[in-house]
Amino acid sequence: MQSDESKKILLVDDDIDLLEQNKVLIESKGYKVITAENSKDAWELFKQHKPDAAVIDLIMEEHDSGFILSHKIKKDGHGKNIPVFILTSATYLTGFKFDASTEEEKEWIKCDGMLNKPVVIDDLVQRLESYFSVNKS
Amino acid sequence: MQNSSRPKVLLVDDEKLLRTGTKRLLESEGYFVDTAGNGSEGIKLGSSSEYDIALIDLKMPDVDGIHVLNEILKIHPQTICIIATGYASYETAIEATKAGAFSYIPKPFTPEEILLKLKEAYYKRQLLLETEKLRREREERLLEVAFEKTRLNTIINSITDGLLVVNKDGQAVLYNPSALKYLQLDKIKIEEYIIDKLHAEIAGLINKILSAQKFEHKSYSTQIDLNRNGQIFVEATSSPVPHPDGSLAGVVVVIKDITELKKLEILKSRFVSMVSHELKAPIAAVYGYLRLLSDETVNLGGEQKKNYILRSQLRLDSLLKMVNDLLDISRIEMKKVSREIREIQILSVIKSAAELFQNELKGKNISLSINSNDGIPAIYADYDEITRVLTNLLSNAIKYNKAGGTVAIHAGSTESYLTVEISDTGIGMKPAEKERLFREFFRAKNEKTKNINGTGLGLSIIKRIVDFYSGKIEVESEWGKGTCFKISFPLRSGMHKTENEEQIILSDDNSFRINNNK
Repeated sequence: MQSDESKKILLVDDDIDLLEQNKVLIESKGYKVITAENSKDAWELFKQHKPDAAVIDLIMEEHDSGFILSHKIKKDGHGKNIPVFILTSATYLTGFKFDASTEEEKEWIKCDGMLNKPVVIDDLVQRLESYFSVNKS
Repeated sequence: MQNSSRPKVLLVDDEKLLRTGTKRLLESEGYFVDTAGNGSEGIKLGSSSEYDIALIDLKMPDVDGIHVLNEILKIHPQTICIIATGYASYETAIEATKAGAFSYIPKPFTPEEILLKLKEAYYKRQLLLETEKLRREREERLLEVAFEKTRLNTIINSITDGLLVVNKDGQAVLYNPSALKYLQLDKIKIEEYIIDKLHAEIAGLINKILSAQKFEHKSYSTQIDLNRNGQIFVEATSSPVPHPDGSLAGVVVVIKDITELKKLEILKSRFVSMVSHELKAPIAAVYGYLRLLSDETVNLGGEQKKNYILRSQLRLDSLLKMVNDLLDISRIEMKKVSREIREIQILSVIKSAAELFQNELKGKNISLSINSNDGIPAIYADYDEITRVLTNLLSNAIKYNKAGGTVAIHAGSTESYLTVEISDTGIGMKPAEKERLFREFFRAKNEKTKNINGTGLGLSIIKRIVDFYSGKIEVESEWGKGTCFKISFPLRSGMHKTENEEQIILSDDNSFRINNNK
């Protein structure tokens, strides 16, 4: 079993400043962070590094780029076993409020939770940790 | 009218002495008198003009007095006729009255007798005229009312808003064709109970008034999504209709199509949420850096801290630019821009815009060429706005260009348009990006644009300005090769050739301000 320090988080956001800030904050909690500014780079990194979790911004190149990337990861042999969280601040563009609190919604949205931006890193870290502790093998 | 002039009398008698004597007597009493010496002449006079009173001898050699009376009354039924007869008998009196005589007088008559008869006759005549006047007035009034009613109906039926009037019992009293459309009914029967056939919300509006305890001049309105699919929106307003005594007679409902208004409202609120979202991003970024910088649990290097401050400044700069652009858009939208419309030589605007970008051009080693056809006409526009269009386009051509590339500006004109083309050798656009180009906040997001700053509002401002001048903006672009923007401004007809320059040059005094505040 790996220690938490070595857990690798893939962080994807097209706002380079938010990406930098969240990276530094998550790192300060003892994780290793790899970053990408778009879904394409993110997918390459994912395949290459096989991270232990992914935190993805919803709206990047397109309004649903985050969903598509999340679906792709969840369909992957490695990806289906890791937690994926989607970050959003834009409920107006799609007209409904995203949530992924029930199993059904999680299945439909294909992610393990939605987090509103700006992200409270403590919340994110808590969710990551609870996920990792439940799924400890 | 009759009172102010002298009573007009026609005297028909074959006896000359009686004629002249009576005429003199009547004239001395203030009557106006015409005489006729026989029946035929009497008929002629009595029918050609209207007399108040006709005094007719019964027995005349040519025509019978009764016949004369008949003929006169045919034309002027209100002339009061008196039959005079030397053979007075009960029978002749009856005959004369039957024929329409007002009265008869036996001959010979004394002055007192004839004057009394005429006085009575004239009184009768005045009554007749008065009655006739009242009758005519009443008829006219009725005609007017009938006309007014059809006119009102025509007007009500022509209104595009729906109109429905119900009485106190909820029965339909009046409606127009538009009402059928908005109420989604095939027909309405007058006096049928209508309320349960109406859209629930409209029925509610009517019931609010019908069930009120006492009469109040208060209207109720509601907006309804008619088919619950966002296609047709109406606003229904119900108002009480009072009786003359102030009690409630019924309710009038006006239904207005507000679909366009509603669509605009949706567009507006979508724009507002887009704006909020766009403003939130830089604020969140700067806020995040400030939190990081003050977070003692995070270890940051000196270089890192400096970089965070620099990034914060950049984000705030672009935030400020965005706010300024938004203010410009809202000024253009509200049509409150105070424009100074004057003659503008486009080449001089292009040249001074190019001056502003000397540093940027040098920095990226981009060469700029400006050329034009001969005799480009002037356009009439606000100098600042045209400058804004050109600097925005030029700035894009440089920002999205490759280092060492070129920017070419070409000005030309056709019969009716002045055109400016700005082409670059930059990164170009993908077809999908081109489509969304003029939308607010749209910025092409790809690997080549990630280091280029912008508010996403520049082109939408240009579009608004060009639209104001009824111009056109077109774009051709090839991904990886470059982009060419072409703007066209319509020329003023008849005064756009430089040959006419002498006639069209306006001095500064001739420039005029348009405060386009419609």
